[in-house]
Amino acid sequence: MHVAPRVWISLGLCAVALFALTLRLWHLQIIKGAFFRERSENNRLRTVYVHPPRGLILDRNGQLLVRNRPSFNVDLVIEDSPNPTETITTLAEIVGQDPAPLLEKLSRQGKRLKYEPKLILRDVSRDDVAKISAQRHRLPGIIISVVPARDYVNGELAAHLIGYIREITGEQLKNPLYSGYRMGDLIGQSGVEARYERYLQGERGSQAVIVNASGNKIGEAYEHLALSGSDVVLTIDRRLQEIADKSLEGKKGAIVAMNPKTGDILALAAAPRFSPSVFTSEMSRDTWVDLIEGKDHKLTNRVTQGVYPPGSVFKIFVAAAALAEGVTTPNEKVRCPGYLKFGSRRFHCHKHSGHGPVNMFEAIVQSCDVYFYTIGQRLGVDRIHKYAHDFFEFGEPTGVDIGDESAGLIPSTAWKAKYFRNPADKKWYPGETLPVSIGQGAITTTPLQVARGVSAMVNGGKVLKPRVIRRVVASDGRVLEEEPKDPEVIRTVDIDPSIFVAMNKAMVGVVEDPRGTGHKAALPKIYAISVGGKTGTAQVASKESGVKDDDHAWFAGYAPADDPQIVVAAILENAGHGGAMAAPLVQDIFAAYFGIPDEPPPPVVEEKKKIKRGAR
Amino acid sequence: MSVRVGRGILNGFDWVFLTFGVLIPLCGLVVLFSAGYDPERAVDLFGLFSVEFPSAACLKQATYLLAGLVVMGVAMAIPTQALNRHAFFLYGLGIILLVAVAGFGVVVNGSRRWLSFGGINLQPAEFMKLGIILTMARVLSRRPPKNGSSYALSELLIPGLLIALPMGLIAKQPDLGTALSLGIVGVSQILFVGVRPRALLSVVATVLILAYPAWEMLHDYQQRRILVLLDPESDPRGSGYHITQSKIAVGSGELFGKGYRQGTQTQLEFLPEHTTDFVFSVLAEEWGFVGCVTLIGLFFGLFATMLRIAARARDGFSTLVAFGITAQVFAHVVINIGMVIGLLPVVGIPLPLVSYGGSSMLSIMFGLGLVQGVSIRRMRYS
Repeated sequence: MHVAPRVWISLGLCAVALFALTLRLWHLQIIKGAFFRERSENNRLRTVYVHPPRGLILDRNGQLLVRNRPSFNVDLVIEDSPNPTETITTLAEIVGQDPAPLLEKLSRQGKRLKYEPKLILRDVSRDDVAKISAQRHRLPGIIISVVPARDYVNGELAAHLIGYIREITGEQLKNPLYSGYRMGDLIGQSGVEARYERYLQGERGSQAVIVNASGNKIGEAYEHLALSGSDVVLTIDRRLQEIADKSLEGKKGAIVAMNPKTGDILALAAAPRFSPSVFTSEMSRDTWVDLIEGKDHKLTNRVTQGVYPPGSVFKIFVAAAALAEGVTTPNEKVRCPGYLKFGSRRFHCHKHSGHGPVNMFEAIVQSCDVYFYTIGQRLGVDRIHKYAHDFFEFGEPTGVDIGDESAGLIPSTAWKAKYFRNPADKKWYPGETLPVSIGQGAITTTPLQVARGVSAMVNGGKVLKPRVIRRVVASDGRVLEEEPKDPEVIRTVDIDPSIFVAMNKAMVGVVEDPRGTGHKAALPKIYAISVGGKTGTAQVASKESGVKDDDHAWFAGYAPADDPQIVVAAILENAGHGGAMAAPLVQDIFAAYFGIPDEPPPPVVEEKKKIKRGAR
Repeated sequence: MSVRVGRGILNGFDWVFLTFGVLIPLCGLVVLFSAGYDPERAVDLFGLFSVEFPSAACLKQATYLLAGLVVMGVAMAIPTQALNRHAFFLYGLGIILLVAVAGFGVVVNGSRRWLSFGGINLQPAEFMKLGIILTMARVLSRRPPKNGSSYALSELLIPGLLIALPMGLIAKQPDLGTALSLGIVGVSQILFVGVRPRALLSVVATVLILAYPAWEMLHDYQQRRILVLLDPESDPRGSGYHITQSKIAVGSGELFGKGYRQGTQTQLEFLPEHTTDFVFSVLAEEWGFVGCVTLIGLFFGLFATMLRIAARARDGFSTLVAFGITAQVFAHVVINIGMVIGLLPVVGIPLPLVSYGGSSMLSIMFGLGLVQGVSIRRMRYS
């Protein structure tokens, strides 16, 4: 093979190809150079993001809870501003704000992509928009954009359930869960807003706009349309929610109403509340500190995150356990002298003069502690744990779809052996079983667990997953998610049905028996809707001081007793007696649910027929 | 005519070749400093200096260049004869890896190109590029044309299949750019040896005749993709947009460029992929026609010295290896520059030695090392 000529030919071809490239470059850079130079000078591409409106949040009947309204944001395009710091200082002066946080906000967004608008002020008032517009010549690079913002139609209604939206944090941006989000985006941070973020958010649109050197739009390079977020329909009923929220005003506590057949949450109220709207505009430091660190724990959803000893409400579960285990019969009488002597200690009944001999019905109706000390002792803590925890799922998160939930705790010998380090503390002492039998001591539950437990007691033993979402509907009307018709049964409590009947009867007695502790939950007799329930008065020792605070007032009830449609659990922190303080709140909700007016019922008997029983 | 030094290991070492091979990536670093300029993502110089380095791409590329020089030295040390002996083995290994990719490769951006071995990612197509050069060199050098000067059609069957197999596997990934460049290199090696005009004609005719029914068999969307590939401006929102921006960048550079770090297309990020595939546009915008011609000149110098090594090689195999590597680098340079100035389709092939990227740098430096090895060994036994 003669290599040399082949190499020369190759070199020649190589030269020809490179020369062709050079010719093309000559054409582009020299002949048409001026044309391209001009085009490059006019070439300003601005990406304008089009924020989609977030999905609406509606109640079960389609009533609006949260919608969107137009709001004004103030952005800065660095490229158009000769001196961004000066522009922002001027802007701050015009709207009467401190420039430092605004400058910090700008620097957080980075100086890169100078043609991209950087958010400086969110949701400014119309007055400020007018002022800024009037001073435009002093604010080069400042643009005002109209974007949808959250409008909480009912103010703070169901704040904990709905949750709030807030700017995505730096940490969240790093989370792969939020890939595709950008600095400054608003995202759901709690409640339904957070859990259903991916549905509510919609899809951000973008428009690449070509503008000339003076910033005027001369064309569009491409556009991706924004897609509105999907609407979320909740299970709650706005009417009931309003009443629940109202009755907690100025108090600390929680109310939750649930359909014991489906698990649908009809109302979920916790107090103190927060105002979701404070998160979207610029928030003062004090407001933030109060929300996060304030001793009111306003952000805590006491229905799912508050843990309280259940107090005497727990007695019906202990009673059911006692019957199921055969440690007592419904008719066995226990004498209550006002206390139970255990070793050298006296455990008192709440009625110091004593109830005398009581059977199970009477013990529940009058909430006799001594009776339950007695049968609790017979059961022992582990059998109480078996029924309360393993069967009725106390001490376990309910799995409701609104984010972080507390578990609470149902003690047992195994728990104590595991939890404590010191060998002396690992042992369960029989004396510790007594307070547990009446729902006191080292036992805690959430109000939602109580509502679920009572539901199971009155629906034949089905422990349901509480549901807050009915359906999710896309902006084009497609149903993306729908609550199944059948309830989600977590487990069925397999005990003799007669026990449920006995408990139902006893709980009706609590409300309707003359000696009952919960008669304040009763509905006017004329409507013939019988109510059942159980009061609770949980003793609390403040953690900080060890001093005894006022008791937590509990009431958990249901109606109508013969075919329960609604279960309500209410707790008021440090309010005193459950029967006196919590039962009336539950009664209000029942009244609203069955459409019973506030004023005393008219004395005409015929009216009775008109009341639609079980209207929703 | 020094006697002692001349007989040392570096007898035959091509210093001019090395100079070009180092000058071009150095120019690349200068361009990359501008293209990758981003003080917000500044990196410490390995914590050695308190000053932060404002162009991460440039700094990393510098480390790739240093690593590349080491790889080059290693490649130089490999005896050309060993490559000859193991050519088929390497080819077979490459094919096995390509089949493995088709089976359980990692999908990135819709293509299955990578094999992952516990954290180490391998792109078998890159490996195959070298495999095909060595295999064709071995096949062609052991079976020279029967008439002594050029191949007949029947003699092209085996080399043709050897090229078609890996090409097909790579095209299926799909990675059309790499498949084509692989084919171009293999075919150019055959052409280098020589093909009878009649054989060449019939091959070209067959391809043309088969092209039409093949085109008709494609789906609409596949046809459209190929049309966009050939004429990017028909898709002004996709790759056409990139080409338009790139042409504006190149053209607006005019004769002397806008000045270093003054390229608005680059610095305002109109230009896509400006540290990798479109790095030449950055050079064109900021250094103008003068800068472009200088870099093209340097590449011409590199190819000329490589071809000189091919011409002086001690045997046919070595010549074909040196020529094949030259053809490969050349093809990449022409395809890349042709792409950014709107002459050739957008296929995503980086500019050798200039575009940011470690694996491209290392594989090319390895190739250059092999060529240097050919140069060193040219006189051993003569």
